[in-house]
Amino acid sequence: MGAMVLVTVRLPAGATLEEALRRLGLTEDDADTAYGLVPLDPEQGLYALRVTEDAGRRVGQAGGGGPFADPPIEPYGPPS
Amino acid sequence: MRVLIQLRPSPDVVAAVAAPGLTATTADVTGELPGVALDHSYAPVALPRAHPASGGDPLSLNQPLNFSMAPEEASVLVRGEISDDETSTRMALLPGRHSGVVAVYADPVIETSLTCGGTPPVGTWQDVERLLAVPELQAEGYDGHDVALAICDTGINSAHITRALGRSFTIDARRSWNPSGVSGAAGRFPVDHGTMCAFDALIAAPKASILDVPVLLSRRQGDTVMDGLLSDAIAAFAHLRTVLDDQPAATRSLVVSNSWGSFSPSWDLAPGQPGNYSDNAAHPFNIIVGSLERAGADILFAAGNCGTECKDRRCAFPSRPIVGANSHPQVLSIGGVDTNGVRVGYSSQGPGRLSDRKPDVCSYTHFAGSGAFGAGTPDSGTSAACPVAAGLVAAIRTRWPASVISPAQLRTLLHRTADDRSDVGFDYDYGYGIADTAGLLASLKRRTARTAAV
Repeated sequence: MGAMVLVTVRLPAGATLEEALRRLGLTEDDADTAYGLVPLDPEQGLYALRVTEDAGRRVGQAGGGGPFADPPIEPYGPPS
Repeated sequence: MRVLIQLRPSPDVVAAVAAPGLTATTADVTGELPGVALDHSYAPVALPRAHPASGGDPLSLNQPLNFSMAPEEASVLVRGEISDDETSTRMALLPGRHSGVVAVYADPVIETSLTCGGTPPVGTWQDVERLLAVPELQAEGYDGHDVALAICDTGINSAHITRALGRSFTIDARRSWNPSGVSGAAGRFPVDHGTMCAFDALIAAPKASILDVPVLLSRRQGDTVMDGLLSDAIAAFAHLRTVLDDQPAATRSLVVSNSWGSFSPSWDLAPGQPGNYSDNAAHPFNIIVGSLERAGADILFAAGNCGTECKDRRCAFPSRPIVGANSHPQVLSIGGVDTNGVRVGYSSQGPGRLSDRKPDVCSYTHFAGSGAFGAGTPDSGTSAACPVAAGLVAAIRTRWPASVISPAQLRTLLHRTADDRSDVGFDYDYGYGIADTAGLLASLKRRTARTAAV
């Protein structure tokens, strides 16, 4: 799978990846299905998913949430 | 910020300061100065006036000079402190607003042996145990019992920790979690950074239930700078939300220790772009951090190892290196001090990017501890300071669940009771000071007494 970014989507509680893709106008090929649909803020019905850069751009142009960077993270130690 | 203030008091006061047989005090030299906490323990010093030896440019120091201690010409230095929030403003305005002030200068710390990356251990984990007043904590029932303490890191090796600590502890395998694609059982990962973090958290919270969350083991690869691992931390925090939601609301307690972060802006979108992480409270990870805290979790992040005196060579942010969730207003950002209570030179300084007042507090690092990196190699970095503080928070949670003291209230308590290293409250080196067990216990006792009296 190529470069990936994060996008967000608002859905009712208990939503599935399939519903998220449908809402965003994406297919399974656009998304990291192993990552799935991750609830960010259950009270607000806000979810995140990983998608290709191209899909992320399309989501952003359509007024969706993102695309957001998915940068590497590293341990803070021992200092070198 | 510590400052030196040059004053020109009346000649008789200058003469008294300069006279070897007399003792003049700061109060003799000046009254209160607005916004300056004067250091009355510092004996004022007379400063001679420089004159060109042969009538040259009176403002040039690059020529032969004579120095006059005549009371009409000399001035006096006193010492004080200005809040970090308004250092530049006050330093600029004081000379104009107060007739006696000639100038205000920085008074930087001078040290011969600042603790840096290659410095041998400063003290041992038993010293940290003493500094955290662990016997006093345990005597009052603060040992982390029934408190979930998540170590989000590289995985934990419980056999190594048991050997190093000389006692067993609880790995909560049922509530631990692996990122997609990472195999391995909780507590059985190779000895590495996460093992150090768990060891350090157990110093103050020996009875805590340790959740092993090896979020740094994931390696989702991609082609561009937009691909990475923060998404695994999002998934980890979503799992921790279920851990919290499964607990009875009245006794919820979850402490989350994060000794990791982002070293370089080159892996992120530029600040100002809507998809940026480092400076953007609306990034999905920063959203889920706020959501988990609101649900009752105490979240701690290491401030980072990008302190100006001896930064980690990976540090690539040109300024304000406490970025992203490490600077989130709803987390505790933890700086590092050695067992002498002195900030280690690599501990990142504020202000933070998402919120200004970072780090929040400091805790202990750079001591002989887990031996995770080999005998004689210290548990170091703000990586060690963060779980040390997380252990203290978990210990407090033994008797004070989030339903009684919210995470925000506990942060305020830690700020208010910290051992202030600057004398004026918050500063960008130490935050509010070193997290202080005695202060915490005293405050909680007062709270208990107030509650009982109602």
